[in-house]
Amino acid sequence: MTCIVNVKGLTKSYKNQSVLKELNWQVEQGDVVGLLGKNGAGKSTLLKSILNISDIDSGAISIFGEPSNQLSSISKARIAYVPQENDEISWLSVKDLINFRKQFYSTWSDEKVTELVSSWEIDLAKKVAELSPGQVQRVLIILALAPMPELLVFDEPAASLDPAGRRDFLKEILNLVSDENITVIFSTHITSDLERIANKVAILDKGQICYYNDLDVTKESVVQLTVHCKKEQDITIPYLLRGKHHSQGQYGVVSQLDQTWLTEMKEKNVEVTINPMGLEDIFLELTA
Amino acid sequence: MEQFIISPSSGIPIYKQLYSQIERMVLNGYFSVDQRLPSVRQVASDLHVNPMTVSKAYGLLEERGYLKRLRGKGMVVTARDNEVLQQEKLIMLDEMIKELLAQAKHMGISGDKVEQMIKHSIANELNETVGKE
Repeated sequence: MTCIVNVKGLTKSYKNQSVLKELNWQVEQGDVVGLLGKNGAGKSTLLKSILNISDIDSGAISIFGEPSNQLSSISKARIAYVPQENDEISWLSVKDLINFRKQFYSTWSDEKVTELVSSWEIDLAKKVAELSPGQVQRVLIILALAPMPELLVFDEPAASLDPAGRRDFLKEILNLVSDENITVIFSTHITSDLERIANKVAILDKGQICYYNDLDVTKESVVQLTVHCKKEQDITIPYLLRGKHHSQGQYGVVSQLDQTWLTEMKEKNVEVTINPMGLEDIFLELTA
Repeated sequence: MEQFIISPSSGIPIYKQLYSQIERMVLNGYFSVDQRLPSVRQVASDLHVNPMTVSKAYGLLEERGYLKRLRGKGMVVTARDNEVLQQEKLIMLDEMIKELLAQAKHMGISGDKVEQMIKHSIANELNETVGKE
């Protein structure tokens, strides 16, 4: 596996408020990573720091094996970034903006632009300032996809899109990732989008990537357990995040399923029910 | 057309949801022997899910002998011995029965009562069929 993004010891603070603390993270080629975090956890800061859009206090970040603050222009052209807020020149018409951006890339696909502009019904003559937030977001996504990038970084890409717009966007991302060399990192609050398209989930909490794992593995390991036992049976659930005792036994959420323990319970004739949880609940449990 | 239905926010991984749906569709004959399944790309695009997820489900079905990969044709349903097929069906039912019994146990309902209810349901089913004729 080729490591596309490698972050080591990233520390960043605003004034005296520390945001990222000695954060380590490796993203491999072909992964579609959903980045979750509470409001103010520092998701945007992390993405901007990785791309050298914001300064960092300390740490080493590399993209495609090059230090991210000294990326060659070839490598820069292989990266696309869609920020949470539009920072494009808003007095330009969409058409002029597209032509302006096109000059910076050698791999620009006019076909992609034409296709998306027509299927997403973008009015090329309108000024960016005249577009609705959802339309602006679509334009930004078109600008990001047009140069056929290999690393795509989206900060809350679906925030201003309606459900149909979100589906269109997901479809584009899925078209892209059928090419296994393309890596996508996107931050989101909409866990169901993440569940559809991501194969990896990352959770940013307290300044660090506190959880990074395969999405399927996550759903199979972070589960709710109900242990049907009597009070006098002293049973300790391994990897317990949070649990409660009640008259018929105990229940709790574990970060990992311990198979040896399950077998042991079976031998003791203690019934254990495993209840899977959706990603939203998993996220809340892991960051509680 | 969407042949498969998934719920992304369920705690059951999407590849597993697809796996059990297709398994069931093969066992109940919805997909007949040698029938070709839609391509990974097609399913991924219909359901708006990552193609890797669909590949994973197909791979598992291939591993368990439900599907085979034909060059240039994609995935097709494997011809299987009737006895094996019957066996698979019984295993699936057995799992459902186990689940039913576990639920009954939690509710404090005895196995005898469940048996009685099942017999009752079968009798009702028979009556309805007879009534329709």
